Amino acid sequence: MNIFSKFLATTALCATGAISLSAQAVSAETVFRFAHPVGMGGAESMDPIGTNRFYYAIIITQNKLVRISPDGRPDASLAVSWEASDDARDWTFNLREGVTFHDGSAFDAADVVKQFERIKDPANESPLASALALVDSVEAVDDHTVIFHLNNAHADFPLLLTDYRVRMVPSEVGPNIAETGIGTGPYKLETLDAEGTTVLVANPDYWEGAPKMDRIEIIGIPDAQARVQAMMGGQIDWLLSVNAQQAPLFANNPGVTMQSYSAGDWKGISFDVRDEPYNDPQVRKALRMVVDRAEMVELVVGPDGGTVTCDNPVAPTDQYRVDIDCPQDIEGAKALLAEAGYADGIEIEISTSDLDQHWVNIAEVYQQQAAAAGIDVSINVEPSDGYWSDVWMQDPAFLSWWSARPADQILNEAFRGDASWNESRYNNPDFDAKLDAARRAPTFDERAKLYGEAQVMLWEEGGTMIPFHLNITRVLARGVSGFDEIDEQHIRWHLVSKE
Amino acid sequence: MLKLLLKRLALAVVTIAIVVTIVFLAVEALPGDACTSFLGRAAKGNRLIMCREEFGLDQPAMPRFIEWITAALHGDLGESMARRDTVAELVGIRLRNTLLLGLSASAIGVPLAIMLGVIAGLWRDRPLDIGLSTFAIIIMTIPEFVMGTVLILIFSIWLKWLPGIVITRPTAPLSDFLGDIILPVITLAGIMTAHIMRMVRTSVIDVMNSEYIKMAQLKGVPYWKMVRRHVLPNALVPTINLIALTIAWMLGGVVVIEVVFNYPGIGRLIVDAIGDRDLPLVQGIALVLASIYVGLNLAADILTLMLNPKLRTMKGH
Repeated sequence: MNIFSKFLATTALCATGAISLSAQAVSAETVFRFAHPVGMGGAESMDPIGTNRFYYAIIITQNKLVRISPDGRPDASLAVSWEASDDARDWTFNLREGVTFHDGSAFDAADVVKQFERIKDPANESPLASALALVDSVEAVDDHTVIFHLNNAHADFPLLLTDYRVRMVPSEVGPNIAETGIGTGPYKLETLDAEGTTVLVANPDYWEGAPKMDRIEIIGIPDAQARVQAMMGGQIDWLLSVNAQQAPLFANNPGVTMQSYSAGDWKGISFDVRDEPYNDPQVRKALRMVVDRAEMVELVVGPDGGTVTCDNPVAPTDQYRVDIDCPQDIEGAKALLAEAGYADGIEIEISTSDLDQHWVNIAEVYQQQAAAAGIDVSINVEPSDGYWSDVWMQDPAFLSWWSARPADQILNEAFRGDASWNESRYNNPDFDAKLDAARRAPTFDERAKLYGEAQVMLWEEGGTMIPFHLNITRVLARGVSGFDEIDEQHIRWHLVSKE
Repeated sequence: MLKLLLKRLALAVVTIAIVVTIVFLAVEALPGDACTSFLGRAAKGNRLIMCREEFGLDQPAMPRFIEWITAALHGDLGESMARRDTVAELVGIRLRNTLLLGLSASAIGVPLAIMLGVIAGLWRDRPLDIGLSTFAIIIMTIPEFVMGTVLILIFSIWLKWLPGIVITRPTAPLSDFLGDIILPVITLAGIMTAHIMRMVRTSVIDVMNSEYIKMAQLKGVPYWKMVRRHVLPNALVPTINLIALTIAWMLGGVVVIEVVFNYPGIGRLIVDAIGDRDLPLVQGIALVLASIYVGLNLAADILTLMLNPKLRTMKGH
């Protein structure tokens, strides 16, 4: 008994000691903390062009040549200005002078040339290689001027450089970049530990101005519920996103503020247009006309969780987005099905998985809505493991998701006839020709017209049902400011501050 | 005695070998491998082939398993597939964190359980016993993740006294975890205490009803002297096995607690490793956990033998 009470007393002492310890840790230093889901299982690398890039650390530590403004147009970053040759095949970029990397070396044309060599080098297996296949070579004219030689005209080439992965690192750093993460950004990498805590410290020499906080800590929390609890307990300052079920937890909390923005990410059902019955454009149109998109948004992501889209992959905020009207049309769908020879209804099978939190719900809502037009949908819920290799682009109809990309990129990457990620295998030379013509078109209006026509073609005869673009709702601790209501990769991190 | 020990030891080795084999087969049977999990939708064509070559996944399962076993017998657990580290290093630091959690919980839970169990047993069917026993049953019926979540809600979110989610780096010195482990330790210790306490209570009641205690009472041995000299030693020996089992259960069952609290221990590591199909890491953790489990049971058996003269002198058992 005696020993035991001594033991209890010791434990209590330890506990109080620990509490005062953790209280002491809050000093004059401003530390901004947030949690990431450890999507690459701890293999997160700081190489922006690699396959397992540590997105959240890279967007704060490294800069692009061109960034995107909130209205969807290219904006100066490490490149200050640019101009195209008359045939839009040679692009001259003037680089910002006086910018230094975190290791003290100066940023110049050689770094740009080297980074594009790395992107194109097959040994690096960069996912950017196909996205930037258009770039034939990059030439350094002087220390602060480079020329991109394209193998085809592209009037919107600067937009391609706004891709979240095209970030500049020093030319001498070599393969070590995966660990060092040297860039020109407002914070520099101090410790890389994706499963534990990754520490970024302020770069006082940042070219846009010194950051307003001392440190940013990125904490690995794979469990979604635990991330929500960490935010509720005030342990982190930014919760990346909350879904419709979690949002009410924060609604009346005076300690936090909530932000919502249209992200441009989308989810949808792809029908392989090479297979029966999806090879008939009338059937495809009917399958998409039966969707009540407003109801789908409400049921799957909550009333503010998405922006209705009419099978159009181009984001609502994109400068080339065309607005199409697509109310649910059961009678029209029935008529189209009858014309195609399915007057008595049609049976289809859709593969989905809980790999994504919304996929199963989208399939279920679709099943209910389509039933009204005599479409009998059966749902295959596949294991999330191996979904990308065994189901995606293998089964005739399946769920997919895409992150936000500029119009030209999403249309070419996901819908062009010969694109490797053309999920529906939609193959229409007219569509491809419009995309090519848009790249050659010298004026904005001409490009807008061509990209607009391409979007309407997808609604008329495409093989992908896209009910909405996602809105992201995120939570910030009260006292955080300078955090614009835009995608995190566009945030001006040096302006973010915390009381 | 020695023969018995050797027999037990051999059995332990066989058990561990079977566990490791089953884990290997189970992970092999899951759809996808480290490469499809790692590459996601880029898992196609040349990139997939190169990735599989790099990890040796292009070899059939059998030779890979034999290679792993051979290396493991030489003390080399190999390299993690998804993480840039050796398995030994990853497991080592996480095991340290889990042991901190498990041993702290045991250090609180075991003495508390014994004390409460003895009290409940000696005051059998009195209000104190009924209260303690009811409370234990309630604790036992609440799943640990529910208890963990409720504790986070009360102490971290409402009262803001303690950190709810662990955000300390896995490699931080142990002292940095002291504040973090309070809630998980309370959860684990609570469940442990409930289980062990009920066993101790039963055991004490059995001993109190035995002939030799009646004899001692008739002889006029003072009550507390009798409890100390005769009841406790005899009542506690049968609980040694249960305590060992409970601690062993805890090291495996700590998985749920670690995920709930985001505690960087071996439990969370194995969940993530299975998700990544990080085969060498899963195998390494399974080997370590199985060894601990079997080892604790072996230790409990030996301890029971040592404390029980009857078993100790038995020949060829």
